[in-house]
Amino acid sequence: MADYRQMWTDLGMDLEKHDVLCEVLPDAFGGVFLSQQNRPAGMDFYDFVVSEIHGVRPAELIEHRQKGGKVFGTFCVYVPDEVVFAAGGIAAGLCGGSQFWVSGGEKVLPVNTCPLIKASVGARLDKTCPFFMIADMFVGETTCDGKKKAWEILSKEVPLHVIDVPQMKRDKDIAAFESEIKDFIKVVEGVTGNQVTPEKLGEAIKLINNKRRALQRLYNARKASPVPISGKDALLVTQIAFYDDPARCAQMANRLAEELEERISRGEGVFPADAPRIMISGTPMAIPNWKLHHIVETAGAAVVVEESCTGTRYFEHLVDESGQTIDEQVRALAERYMQTNCACFTPNPGRIEDIIRMADEYKVDGVIDVNLQFCNLYSTESYLVKNTLAEHNIPIMHIETDYSEQDYEQLRTRIEAFLEMVRK
Amino acid sequence: MDQIAYRWYILFPNHHQGLQLNRELRKANIRNQISPTPREASSCCGISLIVEPDDLDRIGKIIEEYGISIDKIVKLPVKTDWQYRGI
Repeated sequence: MADYRQMWTDLGMDLEKHDVLCEVLPDAFGGVFLSQQNRPAGMDFYDFVVSEIHGVRPAELIEHRQKGGKVFGTFCVYVPDEVVFAAGGIAAGLCGGSQFWVSGGEKVLPVNTCPLIKASVGARLDKTCPFFMIADMFVGETTCDGKKKAWEILSKEVPLHVIDVPQMKRDKDIAAFESEIKDFIKVVEGVTGNQVTPEKLGEAIKLINNKRRALQRLYNARKASPVPISGKDALLVTQIAFYDDPARCAQMANRLAEELEERISRGEGVFPADAPRIMISGTPMAIPNWKLHHIVETAGAAVVVEESCTGTRYFEHLVDESGQTIDEQVRALAERYMQTNCACFTPNPGRIEDIIRMADEYKVDGVIDVNLQFCNLYSTESYLVKNTLAEHNIPIMHIETDYSEQDYEQLRTRIEAFLEMVRK
Repeated sequence: MDQIAYRWYILFPNHHQGLQLNRELRKANIRNQISPTPREASSCCGISLIVEPDDLDRIGKIIEEYGISIDKIVKLPVKTDWQYRGI
């Protein structure tokens, strides 16, 4: 068997504590994913990635560092990965989705902080995630108050750069984000020792756009009825996309999408054609948070789209590839990233318009608007989401939850009642 | 009395061997499923392949034909009482 213990020891990880996580993963993955019927063969790659989740990709990142490369750990879809790759670095998403890491975060953060932040901080402080131990620099942003303060704690551990994401979308805000990207270029150049040239940035823009195109293609397949892939499997693809090599991510997602398109042409699905089609909107679900999808899909409904950072917000909109100068390319980056509709913006009508548009595109029967516990932004915005969707006669329920299993049965009861209402 | 159901897991010295066997079995239309290795099978992490017992003879021949290294084949009872828990 692959034995990564020496690698983890060299990274300074707490092996004894980490082993607890390794022990529960096989049963959880088996229970959530391998229990599904008729999964696409293209999921083999993603099953492999999870099976070696703290082994293969960390080993690649370590090899990159041994060759003099740098690794940047990121936490948000507003961080322009293009800049990192243009400088010869690797960007890897670090958001924590495991209950296992939450208690480590609670040692230094208020308990009423969202589980994603607590898990991310806990993963580093408890030294139980190799990705958090490998990164040369963390890249934070200002998308919520909890994160802003967490960066100050994490910066005691690892050099940390914060990108100031504007909170409004006026022209002067887009210009401000342009300026932030230029500052980020200087920081990345300083860490890597490599210059970001127009040629390199152009290549990186195409690289990340190709990843987005592949994920868009995959999601387009989910618009078919019957749906050719489960929501759980599609979510897993997106979760892994955050830290996998971007070119490989595009290749594997395209391969999977091709298989799904063949299924569509045969009318083959993983749920009956009359199964309720559900959109999940709201806060991100970082790996290995599969809770809500598991409840919905084991209740007989299909999750057909996620309006979230681990869904459409990650790959919708491409960066204009025609820029020839750094100024033009940075402007194109700013314009693309500022099209993403996070609840940190005010006002934020674009997000609700996205939900209504996608409800139509994906033939959705109902929307589950979810926010992680203590996420004030998405929780407050749910009021507007609910009212507007009601005006459009789109059934909606709101859920606030965390990573634990404590509310599992309560959620199951509520979701089953909701599905009963939307069932054809 | 209820019959206990079992799963057969093939374990490998490294993931390259596991992925190669997965590919060859797919080509031969032999059902197999990549899975994290259960703790009951090994204390180390990594991939294993879940296969059907009726296919073990054919799989053995493919392993031999392609010179694929395996660690062992482990038979484990299927857990029927698994309930969701936050990982």
